[in-house]
Amino acid sequence: MLRIENLKKVFGKTVALDGLNMLVQDGALYGFVGPNGAGKTTTIRTIIGLLTPDEGSVAVDGVYVEQSPRKVMSKIGYVPDSFGVYDNLKVSEYMEFFAACYGITGLKARKRSETLLEQVGLYDKADFYVEGLSRGMKQRLCLARALIHNPLFLIMDEPTAGLDPRTRYEFKEILKELCAQGKTILISSHILPELAEICTDIGVVDQGRMVFEGSMEEILSQINVSCPILISIAGDQSPALRILREHPQVETVSIRGDDILVGFGGDKKDEAALLQSLVEAGVQIYGFVRERRNLETVFMQITDHSGGEVVLSYEG
Amino acid sequence: MKVNPIYHQESKASARSFKLPMIVLLFNCVLAVVALLDMYSMITQVRLTAEIQYSSFLGLYVFVAAVEFVLLLFIIPGLTGGSISGERERQTLDLMLTTRLTAADIVFGKLAAGLSTVFLLIVSSFPILSLVFIYGGVTMPDVGLLLLCYVVTAVLVGSVGIFCSAALKRSTVATAAAYAVVLVLVAGTIMVSYLAEGFEEITTLAGSSGPVWPLYLLLCNPAVMFQSVLTGQVGNEEGMALLTPLVGRIRELDLLDGRWWECSMLVQIAMSGAFLWAAVRQVTPRSRRKKGTAGL
Repeated sequence: MLRIENLKKVFGKTVALDGLNMLVQDGALYGFVGPNGAGKTTTIRTIIGLLTPDEGSVAVDGVYVEQSPRKVMSKIGYVPDSFGVYDNLKVSEYMEFFAACYGITGLKARKRSETLLEQVGLYDKADFYVEGLSRGMKQRLCLARALIHNPLFLIMDEPTAGLDPRTRYEFKEILKELCAQGKTILISSHILPELAEICTDIGVVDQGRMVFEGSMEEILSQINVSCPILISIAGDQSPALRILREHPQVETVSIRGDDILVGFGGDKKDEAALLQSLVEAGVQIYGFVRERRNLETVFMQITDHSGGEVVLSYEG
Repeated sequence: MKVNPIYHQESKASARSFKLPMIVLLFNCVLAVVALLDMYSMITQVRLTAEIQYSSFLGLYVFVAAVEFVLLLFIIPGLTGGSISGERERQTLDLMLTTRLTAADIVFGKLAAGLSTVFLLIVSSFPILSLVFIYGGVTMPDVGLLLLCYVVTAVLVGSVGIFCSAALKRSTVATAAAYAVVLVLVAGTIMVSYLAEGFEEITTLAGSSGPVWPLYLLLCNPAVMFQSVLTGQVGNEEGMALLTPLVGRIRELDLLDGRWWECSMLVQIAMSGAFLWAAVRQVTPRSRRKKGTAGL
């Protein structure tokens, strides 16, 4: 289990982490989501002991990073957002070098290296120089490298960035397989639909705080978003706004250019009634659609600070 | 025996690269050309004057040794200046720090890898240095002492390079900084000593004794140590003319009971230790630093 409590980190005047809490259960494939600058990489670097938090604690499998960083490191495999490879080494040499860094040498290192290269589909490339590998292969090599000491936890910082769809798919399949083998995986990314497909749990971080955390189902059910209705209007918007203000089931109204985004609490019949009342009032509507409820929508709603111009808001 | 994985990996990579044989070839070519030209000029002199000056053969030894020393001073910062910053640029340093390797393992692995190239240069140049044995005048222990002097210098300059590489992010900046520090150690201390000598002359004329302490700064100077070793072996040859008056002054004052180069070696080994300690501290993540241990 990975537990983070009240993590705070400030760089100069920038608050990178502002009391972040996180709980990753054993065997979970945890998606760590957040917009750029939300604090994902800072959190990860704190977990792996490369950064010291100003406040708070990180415990991996019950061991606190600040107290026993080496013990924690032996439990974690880390895949950074960059490759971190040596172009002048062969694939097998690269693996054996990192095995030696963990104190695994000789035949044991070779066997472990071969097993992992087979698992990530690079066995036939063992004698190739790293320089000659494609981007996707390098990323798989990094994954194999992170597993060389058979860690309990695998922490990956945006590992699929820059990979083509096929390679991303293959990568996800490997992660699923690792998860099935009992590894606990924390994967940070801003490619949300991908995480939704593979993750069992998800945490959304924004401005250094955990804004949502739980299983995929929990998040989708708990978030009180009542996915907004997007109404596209040709011409004057004021009659529509007047009707929307008076409607009891309208919770919020935001204007985005020619469109009006309506937080609506009703069901499909209520939606139909709203549409009818707008049409009857002479509002020229050319679009009326309830946005799809998926992780992307949820994420956008949680982390959208600019939003549209909120012209109406109801409580209850 | 457990081999430092970084040293092992670096050695493997450098042994495979084209760079290492080229450095060895060029280094020895320069030394060989210098030695053969010097020898040729001596033999021509003998032919012209029919007079054999055996001291000039010692001059060959001093000249070749001095050229080798200067070459080492130029090569070592280049070899070590980008070692750790290069890892940082490749973003592999963080990966190493998340393994069981300590910051000290990384620093000493890098230093050992850099120095193994330098030792290869020193050993490979031994046949050229041995030319002097044709005429005699220098014994094997003398050459051994000279090689020890090279090793101490290599460790000091290598440590400076490693420290700069650990402290600065960019390899180019780190290498330039390493050259600057070496310049300060070599030229800077000489300059201070000469200024102090000038000041002493003025104060002596004024009736008071001048300061001697700036001369002790030269203990940090590998070039003065080198000159001091050579002077002890062959007398006042003009290997490094700029240093001769200073070394002469040190001998004249009988500073440190005439054990200048021995003390200088100790001081420089201590300095190497300090630079390496600082490098280890720079590489150790703040979260793992404990007061006084620097991640060792």
